Order: sequence, then C-alpha cells, then structure tokens
Amino acid sequence: MGSQEHENCNGYDYCKSYKGLHILKAHDQIKELQTILRDRNTTRSDFKFFADRLIRLVIEDSLNQLPFTNCDVITPTGETYVGLKYKSGNCGVSIVRSGEAMEQGLRDCCRSIRIGKILVESDVDTHEAKVVYARFPEDISQRHVLLMYPIMATGNTVSKAVNVLKEHGVEEECIVLSNLFCTPQAVQTVLDLYPKMKISTSEVHHVAPNHFGQKYFGTD
Amino acid sequence: MAAKINLNDPPSSASSDSDVVETHVDFSDVFPEIEIEEEKSGDFYHTPASPITVPYCPRPPSTGSQKSPRSRRQRTTSLNQTTKPATNSIIRTQHRTIYTAGRPPWYNSVGQKVEPFVIGICGGSASGKTTVAEKIIESLGVPWVTLLSMDSFYKVLNEKQHEIADQNEYNFDHPDAFDFDLMVVTLQRLKEGRKVEVPIYNFVTHSRESKTKTMYGANVIIFEGILAFHNAKVNEMLDLKIFVDADPDVRLARRLKRDISQRGRDLEGVLKQYTSMVQPSFNHYIAPLMSHADIIVPRGGENLVAIHLIVQHVQTQLQLRGLKLREELANASKLNMPTPDTVKLLPTTPQIRGLHTFIRNKDTPRDEFIFYSKRLIRLVIEYTLSLMTFVDKTVETPQGFHYNGKKMATSNICGVSILRAGETMEQAVCDVCKDIRIGKILIQTNLQTGEPELYYLRLPKDIKDYKVILMDATVATGAAAMMAIRVLLDHDVLEKNILIVSLLMAESGVQSIAYAFPDVQIVTTAIDPEINEKFYVLPGIGNFGDRYFGTEPSENSSEKVES
Repeated sequence: MGSQEHENCNGYDYCKSYKGLHILKAHDQIKELQTILRDRNTTRSDFKFFADRLIRLVIEDSLNQLPFTNCDVITPTGETYVGLKYKSGNCGVSIVRSGEAMEQGLRDCCRSIRIGKILVESDVDTHEAKVVYARFPEDISQRHVLLMYPIMATGNTVSKAVNVLKEHGVEEECIVLSNLFCTPQAVQTVLDLYPKMKISTSEVHHVAPNHFGQKYFGTD
Repeated sequence: MAAKINLNDPPSSASSDSDVVETHVDFSDVFPEIEIEEEKSGDFYHTPASPITVPYCPRPPSTGSQKSPRSRRQRTTSLNQTTKPATNSIIRTQHRTIYTAGRPPWYNSVGQKVEPFVIGICGGSASGKTTVAEKIIESLGVPWVTLLSMDSFYKVLNEKQHEIADQNEYNFDHPDAFDFDLMVVTLQRLKEGRKVEVPIYNFVTHSRESKTKTMYGANVIIFEGILAFHNAKVNEMLDLKIFVDADPDVRLARRLKRDISQRGRDLEGVLKQYTSMVQPSFNHYIAPLMSHADIIVPRGGENLVAIHLIVQHVQTQLQLRGLKLREELANASKLNMPTPDTVKLLPTTPQIRGLHTFIRNKDTPRDEFIFYSKRLIRLVIEYTLSLMTFVDKTVETPQGFHYNGKKMATSNICGVSILRAGETMEQAVCDVCKDIRIGKILIQTNLQTGEPELYYLRLPKDIKDYKVILMDATVATGAAAMMAIRVLLDHDVLEKNILIVSLLMAESGVQSIAYAFPDVQIVTTAIDPEINEKFYVLPGIGNFGDRYFGTEPSENSSEKVES
C-alpha cells in the first residue's frame, strides 16, 4: 500500500537519498506512456510504439548527464549565440537483451556513436548473475559510458555490468545508466555499490514491469 | 484551363414548357468544377489555390429537362484567373516564384477582425447583374473575392409545390421562393469572416444537396440576386448597393434570345412565363428595391463608366481598411510586460542548448542541420503533448497489481503546419501520434508590402472538434502565426484548443500572439530577444526553411547580403 505514494510521484523521494539518481521530469504525458507499457491489455504493436517513445525521451534526458563545454557560434544573421558543445569520447553499452531495445533510441540521437555490448545471465540454480560476453570499443577506459538497460528489478545484472566496465578501466563517475523502470531496492543495491555513477530513469516503483523484454521482442 | 463559360446564363426562374434537345448536352466539359465538387466529399475540403470561391448553383431547368438524366443544369460562374492577364499573378524573383497574390491580413495587430466589404447587386432577370459582378471582380484585381448568389437560397419545395414546379407554374421570382433566414445567417457569418457552408440547390429535386459549398476567406463579398435588397437585415450588411437597371424591352429581348437560341425553348412558352410571373414580380417586388440602391447602373455590364466608378470606390474603401500589420507588430513595445503564462518554454537543459548550438551555427552543414533540427522538433512535440489534458486511468498489470496511471483526455488531436518551414515538423507529429490528421496553411510574405498573405489552406473537415497543434519552425513578428490562428478561429476551432508550436520565437512575436489570443498556448524551445529590420530573429537561426530544404541563396548571389 505504501507503494501508492511512490507511484504518484514517480519515486522522487529517492532522489533526496541518492545524489546519483535522476528521474525524468514527470508530466502526465510520460505517465501515460508508462501506463500503456504497464497495461496488460496493450497490444504488442502499441507496446513497441510507446516503448520507443519513452526510450527516446529517457535517452535524450540521459544525454544531459554527459559532459559539455561552452561554445559560442555565429548565426546566419551574423549574431553570436552562446551555446554549448558536448565533449566527444562517449559511447553506449547495452546489456543484452532488453538493453538492445534502447540502441535505436541512442542511434536516433547520436548517429555515429560506438556501442558495446554485455551479456549477463543468471545462474538457474544460484540466481547469481554472471557475465558471459562483453565487447567494447578498444579505448573504452577513456570514454564516458551510457549503459542501457530498461528494467531494473534487483540491480544484480547492472552491478555485474558496471563491474565489468570498471575492470576495463572505465571510471565509476563516467558511467550513466539509462533506464525506464527501476525498483527502490535496485537503486539502493547499485548506488550503494557504486556511489559515483549516475542513474537516469523515468520511474522508481516497487513493482518492475518484468514483461518488458519479452513483449518488446515478441517472445512471450 | 476551364472551357469558355457562358456568363450570360439567365439569372432566374424556372421556365415554361417545350422540350429541348440541346439541354441533353454533356455539361461536364463546360463545367469542370463539377468534378472538383466530387473531390470534396472526402474528409477534407479546401479553398482552391485560386482563391475566388464561387458557389456553383444549378439553375432552374429549362423545362422538360427532368426527363433527361444528364440535363441538370450546373451554373458555375467561374470568375477567377482566367479573366485576368496571367502576367499579373506571377511574381518571379531570383529564387522563388509566387503564383497569384494571397489574401492580406483581415485582422489587426490584436487579432481583431476587419469586416470584409460587401457589395449587393440587385436587378431584374436578365438585367446583367452577373456581367456587372464579373466586371467588378475583373477590374478590382483583388484575389480574395467571394461571389454569393441568391439562387443558393431557394426554398426546399414540398410535394405539392414540386408538382406545380413540374408544370412550370411555380413562381421562382416571388420573395416566398427564397429562404431569407438562411441567407441572413450565411451573409452574417461571411461578414464576420467565418467559414460558411453554402447550400447547393438542386432544381431537379427542388431540394438542397447533401453536399455544400464551403466558402471562406474573402475580403470582398459580392452578393447577387433578383431580390438582393428585399430583406432589411441583408440590406444592413451591404456596404454598397448596386441596382442594375435595363430597359424591360432589353431584358425581354435578352431572355427571348437566350431561352430560344441557347435553350431551345419556344417563343410562346417563354412569353407566357415572362408575362405571368417574371414581369409581374419585377414590377411588384424588384423595381421598388431601386430606392435602396446607392448606385443605379443603367445598361448593365455595358456601362463601363459606372463600373469604373464603383471599382474606384471599392478600392478606396479597401485601402482605408488596409493594415500595416507586420510593421506594427515589430514595433509593438510590449517588451516590458511579463511573459504570459500561456507561454510554455521547454526547460533549457544542456541537451536543448547543445542542439541549438548546432542548428544556429551558420557553418553547420545541411545534413547535420536537418538531423539536429529533427531531434529538437521531436522534443518540442513530445513536450506539446504533455500540455494536453489528462485523466486518471487504472490498469491491470501482468505483475498482478493495479497501476494508477494517466490517459490523455482527448484523442482528437490534429496537426496543422504553416508552409513551408512548419512542414519540417509534420514527421515528428506523425511519429508520436498514430494516424494523426495533418492540415496545411500556406502563408507567404508579400515582397512589396512586407505583409503576410494567405494563399492556400486545407484542413480536416471537422477541425472545430480538434485540439490543434499549429506548427511553424520560427516565429519572428508573429504575423504568419497570427494569420494561421485567425484562420483556425474562423473555422470555429476554440482558442483554448490551439497550441502554436515552434523551435524558436522572438520575444515580440510571443507577446503579440499572447496579447491577441490570450487562450492560445505558445510552445517553444527558445525565445530570442530581438528582430532585425528584415524580420529575422536575433541571434536566431536564419531562414529555417531555406536551410532545411537547401534553397538558400548562394554565397556569391548579388542581392541577398546580410550586413
């Protein structure tokens, strides 16, 4: 029952406890997207359509977490616009399989960004997450990483993935997790382990919509 | 081009007996508009690019014609560009070609409308009313003219009247034959600058067809008919009343010639109808109306001196109503007023500023310009949708609990883009709203006056029931946006249902729109402080449409140097 409150505010309370947690500024429009994705009666074609929209918004929002510098440009009218420029040297890393659903959204925003992949599987008996495959750009240790994983229930998978990134020399503060739905436990697990990384999500809620990957890829 | 159209079709009256062979001609060659009419039966209607909207009114059948399936008479007085020298209506500059002049603003800088000039033309049957109307339109050279004929307002006949009409004894020259109430309402709405649906009267069935003729957007309205001055309320709305007078002998001679030689009727029938109905009605009802007239034109369309004087008067009146809208908007000193709360500015995140940096930079290559514009457009459209009204909705989840969510209150959303730059935003609207309807409005700046002019519009038919996302890439003075909003309001869209969405607006444009239309929501990603003398926003993006579509003048092009 306590979940009701968190539902209505998309979990903003958690932002106070965790500096690294950033929740997409919720308005009713985003709530509607979340509602459609959670509705069991949503058709698969609608599901994919609205998931892609939410992904695009989350990706655009996550990009705000990446570093930039000031940059003034001359406009066609001859005036100066005081703008900013993103630093180069970013890359995306998707966690197979559901994280791959977010790759297109990232591509739509950053045309030529490099994208690495990690495959993490849970051991059937021990439920322990285990990395089976990882492939990154060679110089990933020099880069900022946008880690993509849409649904985070326990945080175990993401923790493993972050661990792999760190093993490849990526700085903890250079990692941003791009996420659609996560639970408070997952936020706690991940940020307690890696307090310097950032999580960018659209909702923190006690129940994670675990059907996401299956419904998105149509394997349910 | 349209075939030659006979403008001397007799302007009244069902006529007598006698059969006709000639009425069995296929009129589709002569009246191409009939086809266009069919096209309008779909979800969309449009004001044609040549903007003179003329209703086509089937005339009373010249007898016996009911027998033939092909004999329905379609009178269309097509008085558009064909009557004007083509050279006047095309402006070619080095970089673009503009066809015909558009409709200049019909409202002032606070969005209030200026009434169109209404000319009434009254006169007996075959007196030359249509010729006079045609000559006035031709000499005016104003494209936004609507010709409304009283024939559209004949009453629907009941069965008994229908029988009488079949025997050609129904008096179509009598005031009782007209629906004056509908006429008053229609004229009133036209006078208010609103869109109207003008009935199409079918003289075979003596009823109104299910389709109607849409009329919108006239700065001059010509209302023509045998009893044009009969109704006091109509008279009040007429700014200029012209009575076309012709000698009774001349009128009879014309009628005889026309009905016999062109409609194959016999002398006796025409005379019978003339003496029993047409002439008595004229003497009793039409002739006394002459006292209402401001001008009486003897000899009808042949009287070039009179027509010249009328045109001069109308032109003076139009000039008096003329507006220097854009200049007024640009100079409006409302800058110190607080930003109205209908203005919704996207939160300026680093991402938004980063995108602006790309698209504002004059050295950005076009592929990047398009790519980053599209990203920004997507963001502003998503943001626009968040401004809609939402209601609570609880759904069942696969995880077995109920989720308290939201649902958009309306599914009636449509997009309207202001050509050309606004079109760049259509794709994004289609990407976020499945199966959305998209309307278009073309507004161009008149190079001589610097004023915006309306050229073309095509809107979903039931647009009044929609929330409208009105799109233009940039808003400088707000002149084009205000014209588009005015068009929507004239089509009965509620002001609070309009959202004007753009990537970049100038402060003064925002103020002008917000001040003129306080309930219109204004959505943008950035507001710039100034406008230069060429009405570009500063620091701005430059000409968004030219940069997006790649039609900007080349570097070494002589005239277009920005200092």
